[in-house]
Amino acid sequence: MFFWSIAIAVTAIACAALLYAGRTRAVNATAAGPVDAHSHFRQLLNEIDQDRATGKLGEAEAEAAKAELAREMVRQRQEDAGPKRDLGRVPTLAGVALTALLAVSLYAFLGRPDLPGQPLAARPEAAARTMTLDDAVKRIEQALQENPADLRGWTVIAPAYLSQGRYSDAVAAYRHVLELGGASPAVETRLAEALLFEANGEGSDEALALLEKAAAGDASDPQPRLYLAAEMTRLGRFEEAARYWQEAIDLAQGDEPWLAAARQGLSVAQNDGEDIGETDQQAMIGQMVAGLAARLEQQGGSIEEWTQLVRAYLVLGDKDKAQAAYDDAVRAYPAAFDRGDLDSLALGGGLTLNGDKP
Amino acid sequence: MAPGASAAMTIELGHFSLILAFAMATVSAMGGLLLWRRGERLAQVLAQASILQFVLVALAFLAVVQAFMTSDFSLKLAAENSHSLKPMIFKISGVWGNHEGSMLLWILILVLFGALVAAFGRRLPADLKNLVLGTQSLLTAAFTGFTVLTSNPFLRLANPPLEGGDLNPVLQDIGLAIHPPLLYAGYVGFSICFSFAIAALVSGRVDQAWARWVRPWAMLSWMFLTLGIAMGSYWAYYELGWGGWWFWDPVENASFMPWLAGTALLHSALVMEKRNALKIWTIFLSIITFSLSLLGTFLVRSGILTSVHTFASDPTRGIVILSILAVLIGGAFLLFAMRSPALRQGGLFAPISREGALILNNLFLATAVGAVLVGTLYPLLLDALAGTSISVGAPFFNLTFGVLMAPLLLVLPFGPLLAWKRADLVAVGQRLIGTAALTIFLTILISALGGVSFSLVPLGLLLGFWVVFGSVAELVERARIGRIPLRESIRRLVGLPRSIWSTAMGHLGLGLTVLGIVSVSAWESELVTTLNPGQTADVAGYTIAFDSFETEQGPNYVADTGRFTVTGPGQGTRQLEAERRTYVATGAPTTEAAISTYGLSQLYLQLGEPLDDTHVVRIWHKPYILLIWIGALVMAAAGALSLTDRRLRVGAPARARRTAAEPAE
Repeated sequence: MFFWSIAIAVTAIACAALLYAGRTRAVNATAAGPVDAHSHFRQLLNEIDQDRATGKLGEAEAEAAKAELAREMVRQRQEDAGPKRDLGRVPTLAGVALTALLAVSLYAFLGRPDLPGQPLAARPEAAARTMTLDDAVKRIEQALQENPADLRGWTVIAPAYLSQGRYSDAVAAYRHVLELGGASPAVETRLAEALLFEANGEGSDEALALLEKAAAGDASDPQPRLYLAAEMTRLGRFEEAARYWQEAIDLAQGDEPWLAAARQGLSVAQNDGEDIGETDQQAMIGQMVAGLAARLEQQGGSIEEWTQLVRAYLVLGDKDKAQAAYDDAVRAYPAAFDRGDLDSLALGGGLTLNGDKP
Repeated sequence: MAPGASAAMTIELGHFSLILAFAMATVSAMGGLLLWRRGERLAQVLAQASILQFVLVALAFLAVVQAFMTSDFSLKLAAENSHSLKPMIFKISGVWGNHEGSMLLWILILVLFGALVAAFGRRLPADLKNLVLGTQSLLTAAFTGFTVLTSNPFLRLANPPLEGGDLNPVLQDIGLAIHPPLLYAGYVGFSICFSFAIAALVSGRVDQAWARWVRPWAMLSWMFLTLGIAMGSYWAYYELGWGGWWFWDPVENASFMPWLAGTALLHSALVMEKRNALKIWTIFLSIITFSLSLLGTFLVRSGILTSVHTFASDPTRGIVILSILAVLIGGAFLLFAMRSPALRQGGLFAPISREGALILNNLFLATAVGAVLVGTLYPLLLDALAGTSISVGAPFFNLTFGVLMAPLLLVLPFGPLLAWKRADLVAVGQRLIGTAALTIFLTILISALGGVSFSLVPLGLLLGFWVVFGSVAELVERARIGRIPLRESIRRLVGLPRSIWSTAMGHLGLGLTVLGIVSVSAWESELVTTLNPGQTADVAGYTIAFDSFETEQGPNYVADTGRFTVTGPGQGTRQLEAERRTYVATGAPTTEAAISTYGLSQLYLQLGEPLDDTHVVRIWHKPYILLIWIGALVMAAAGALSLTDRRLRVGAPARARRTAAEPAE
């Protein structure tokens, strides 16, 4: 509504300016009229006389020029004397009203008053984008120094450490989370993960204990089981490894990225450590894409999954499907913040950007 | 509400402003063209409307500029054509680096000229003013309507992306930031002459005063067009890497034709103003000049003729613009055919007179326009209609154009010295004897020194010097230099009307350009050779040493850089760098030629493709090439000077007339 009040104010000012111009009596309406014309003809007449005096024109030619000039003057006077009607008030009013009506109705048809402008600097997602992970971590660290008992701070910073590769810091942070009462099977898994990474993949007793506790605590989470299976395989305890692989595979939805690896791990464990060869990579990709597409269409999914699907189509060279998947993704995630990577992928892949349709 | 709220609506307010301007132009066009006899009050409303249209379109344009500057990608145009990482100047020039934005710029200049007529045309008779502003509004309505309905720059994205699409480095050039606005100002300015012509045809009143009102607008537009063409030519010269400064390609010709026609118009309007003659022809030229401008902007550039595919990809847009052109141009010529017999020819005529010379000028210029038009459109039409592809190249244009220009240049110095009405050719010839002698002497001297045999080169030099000295001769003649004391001569020179000065300067500029063209064509040295670092080459007295070759990483490109040391004749050494860049994002290669200026000449160095393990290097020496563009600048400056002459100053015609009536003429 605010937009419309501004727009109508603009229209009103413009109309008022037009009406004002039409209302005022012309100040110099006659200034350019007959007086000018008169002096203009007089001057031409003088020129003819001058030319005749200097011999540029002959007698007959000068007479002819004067006659022509006289005819021109008469014609002009007749035209000026013709009936002249000034513009009345009605046509002015009608024109101004028509202008306003045309503008408002055409804009109502074409405009998008509901859409605010979104300069990049004012968009929250842009601010988030410009703040690097390092900056964020530093700010949280400062806050934690002042208040080490901040459970939320440790919960946030621990995975950040993990993704930055600062594994000892991550271990310490997860320990704080456990100490401050934030324990959960997920946190136990993450701490074990950090311990594993810290030791370059070699599991400690503490890590194994944490993973077993987590697996017991959450019967639906495949992650601790995957770590356990891998760790058991490394230790040569294939029977236990096979059990954990199987449990993880049983928990899978069917299209997890790790599933193929888990199946392979299971067969390796069942054969007491012998690799039995590779499956057909290409067919598996095709199957995965089809499965992912079907699931996303029916149940929806995370933006990462959508991005994965669009990328897969682009890699496979199927631009139409990529466009369709992108359009679906935009419908599912209208906020650009969620779609940062997807939009760059779409731009890079030559897809048409979102929101074009009304 | 907070200012933030109104800032958030800038784009939509801009959209609304553009639509309001469209509505106002539509109603003004109807009012101006249908009710033009209704006198002064209508004229005042129309003038107000013209100024308001400019304000509104300027608001719309600023809204788009603001969206580009702040990277507001909720504007689809910005999302597609801008990028948050562009330097600010290229964010702004990116506004008109695309179809929709360039339409908006075109309209902005159109309404600016309309507003100028409204503001400075207070003394125009009401009837004429109503018709002029009505026609101008009709043009605005047609092109704003086209923009809003088929090429709307204000389309929005509900879910804007975080980054825009375009970071094309090749388009990020200062030349592209300045060249289009100058060229558009030239093209669009001629719309005023068009509107005056329509007004004259509808009202049936054409007199000397009409010519006096039209001439400054023609002069202003011609000046911008001259600058725009020269700028485009120099840009092509340094950026394309082939050392050519004019290619006779359709886009160049499209800007050259209105220039030729505009030049003819300037001269014929002069005859009309002074002698009340050439009325119908002047009106015809006014129409044809703007029609050629429209042809230049839309028909050639939109790709309607050059490529069937562009046309097919957006048939609505192509057909709409074709219909607009057909209605405007066709309508104007129909009106011309119906009304021009009713216009009265006036004035008495002697063949040997200033007006006679100006008619000769118009004859040659008009024929030149025809030749360029045929050469440009014929292959395009043939391709579009019959699918046959032929190419009309530089030889055709050079020959026909050269043949037409030679006699024009030959008679040019006579023109300003001839008196109006009836002149004495023998007397003028006697006054030009000194000029002729000087010209012939210099031509023979230079030809002998340059080792030129009897060919077209001495003829070209002859014409160039003839025009240069001839234009100076007019000043010498009027100041009576050598015949009266020098102090008196200088006093006379200073006291000469600016119109005399601008005539001399305009012709001098043309002569300089001719000399530059002749010199480059005749004495250009070109050397294509393979060089390795450590080797040297000699061209036209310059020694070029290839110092080193490196591959370097630029911000968004990889550059093969060749470093050269040039030893000029007695001028020490200079370091030059020529590059071949490959842009990472697109893989597009560009050449950055090394150009070094020696006086008015230039050395032009281009690093070519690598060949096995050596490098192809092209070296040109371009003697006096800068004269080509200096000449154009002098011509434009002459136009500017002429606009400051009181005779042309709009708004004070009555007094100016008296000043202009010099006894010498």
